[in-house]
Amino acid sequence: MIVDGERQMRPIEESFDYVIVGSGAAGATAARVLSDASSSIAVVEEGPAVNAAQFEDRTFPSLRRLYRDMGAQVARGRALIPVLQGRCLGGSTVVNSAIMWRLPEDVWASWDRDHSLGSALPLRELHRHWDQIEEELSVGSTPREVWGGNNSLMERAGRVMGISAGPMRRAVRDCRGSARCQTGCPFDAKQSMAVTYLPHAERRGATLFTRARVDRLGLKGDRAVAVERWLAEAPAGRRYVRLRLHVPKAVAVAASAIHAPGLLRRSGVRSPHIGAHLQVHPGASLIGVFDQPVDMWVGATQGFESDQHRRDGRFKIESVSLSPEMLIARLPGIGPRWARNITQASHMAMWAVDLRAEAEGRVGGRGDRALIRYGPSPRDMANLRAGLRFTAEMLFAAGAREVLPGIHGLPERITRPGDAGLIGSGPDDPRAYAFAISHMFGTARMARRGEAGVVGPDFAVHGVDNLFVVDSSVFPTNTGVNPQLSIMGLAMHAANGIRDRKA
Amino acid sequence: MVDTLLPEGVQPAPSRGALEAGWEEFHRAFERQAVGRLRLGLRAALFVAIWVAPVLIGRVPPITLYGRETRERALEALERSRVYALRQLFGLLKLTVALCYGADPEVRQAIGYPFQHDDPHRVGGP
Repeated sequence: MIVDGERQMRPIEESFDYVIVGSGAAGATAARVLSDASSSIAVVEEGPAVNAAQFEDRTFPSLRRLYRDMGAQVARGRALIPVLQGRCLGGSTVVNSAIMWRLPEDVWASWDRDHSLGSALPLRELHRHWDQIEEELSVGSTPREVWGGNNSLMERAGRVMGISAGPMRRAVRDCRGSARCQTGCPFDAKQSMAVTYLPHAERRGATLFTRARVDRLGLKGDRAVAVERWLAEAPAGRRYVRLRLHVPKAVAVAASAIHAPGLLRRSGVRSPHIGAHLQVHPGASLIGVFDQPVDMWVGATQGFESDQHRRDGRFKIESVSLSPEMLIARLPGIGPRWARNITQASHMAMWAVDLRAEAEGRVGGRGDRALIRYGPSPRDMANLRAGLRFTAEMLFAAGAREVLPGIHGLPERITRPGDAGLIGSGPDDPRAYAFAISHMFGTARMARRGEAGVVGPDFAVHGVDNLFVVDSSVFPTNTGVNPQLSIMGLAMHAANGIRDRKA
Repeated sequence: MVDTLLPEGVQPAPSRGALEAGWEEFHRAFERQAVGRLRLGLRAALFVAIWVAPVLIGRVPPITLYGRETRERALEALERSRVYALRQLFGLLKLTVALCYGADPEVRQAIGYPFQHDDPHRVGGP
């Protein structure tokens, strides 16, 4: 059953064995596991339920309906960096490209070595969870039929340069290559949580509360006993509807590394690590212009990648297709110059650097808006420049006649492969680059002792018996790869533990 | 000013400019529907484009006093400004114009965007 918070006019008081805050990759996975053990589950999601028929092929209404703050949530540091998050039933899985990477074993090993979490997160068990998730979400390599031009060119670059590059593994079923992942798949080919684990939980009796924002959790002694207030948004302005969900067994927070800290703070949880240690994967992109049509709007939104420098350079290269609106916005120039660039749109490929940044930021704020402080470190900037240079070399290797860096202080277009080095020696200042962030970690990190982190090895908040954080907030570091499958594997591990707890 | 950013008829296809793509209607919808920080940001961006951009090329504002060539030079100076906040605001202005322009069915067709089965605004199609 779906309960639309916007339509609730009177206070409600109910009791559920388990309440899960957030319906993205982590929350939905927890719901999927717990719903097999109990039908008394509530999943509370701030955004609306949106189905495939409601997805629109226009960016503005999609931003409004599906994204937090219409995509205008930003991290503040020297540069303002957009932090993109889905805000709808299914969370970011509705608007991401469904890329599935298991947590790399070298990253897991560092968690074991540096944070002593190997026994808390046994790799063999995680692989078992990932096996199950991959099977249930039809995860597979992007088939050649939906590569389209943008992805095929990266395959060519990989071949020409002799580097590690291959089709992405994605959670899709019968993908038609409409390149519309970021505004919601109109064919339900993407196996987002909205069409997989949430319906699974709903069929087993879970109640999905939408357009309902959890204001705080009620703590009594060392137990979480209730979800005390919600904020529902009505079209004519904001109004409060008081609701109280009693929770005899457990609360699982899966509100994201950006919004879990505020919820914990508002609920009275105290730890210097709440909101600290924010790590991300900043991304920046280059456009290659080709003589032949590329048609980036035909083919998987993101279907090809190179992990050649994932370990030694801390970056990964990904193909990415933007909507016409977003591509046009990214093109340089004004007046006739902008118009001329727009006419070349069908001959453009876009590839992005996804950086495993070392810098740590912080998420502050108690109210309904997170205050995100973040900036890449000088070493991160060096890695980014190396990644962008490598991307430019790949684009030229694939046959690009010119590359549009989109970097302040560099030429508008680079036309000779030998000039790719200009990007490598580009500005140190992050304000020269157009970054975006969509992978966030670490703001309620797991640690064996409360002095070092927010949750323990069982995902329970230190000092609160039945309050769990199950999303990427608990990751001790970022991962260097697209995190959805890692998040789901850890959430499944956490939920199994919650389910098997003795009352 | 928006017609300086994307003027009509400078390319055979798309020949439309931002105004012909429905900027005024889009702007009204944006003011109604966008989140507060984006609305404020766009207003600040328009202010900067009109009142600050001419100053960057040594001209007295507002930008509307001048012909197209001068307006273009002023906006280019904004785009290349060393002041980050000015560049950010100009980027927001371009983004907003692009949200309107790239959604226009004729523009989409002209740049090769494929037919979409669920597009209520589609032009032609199989």
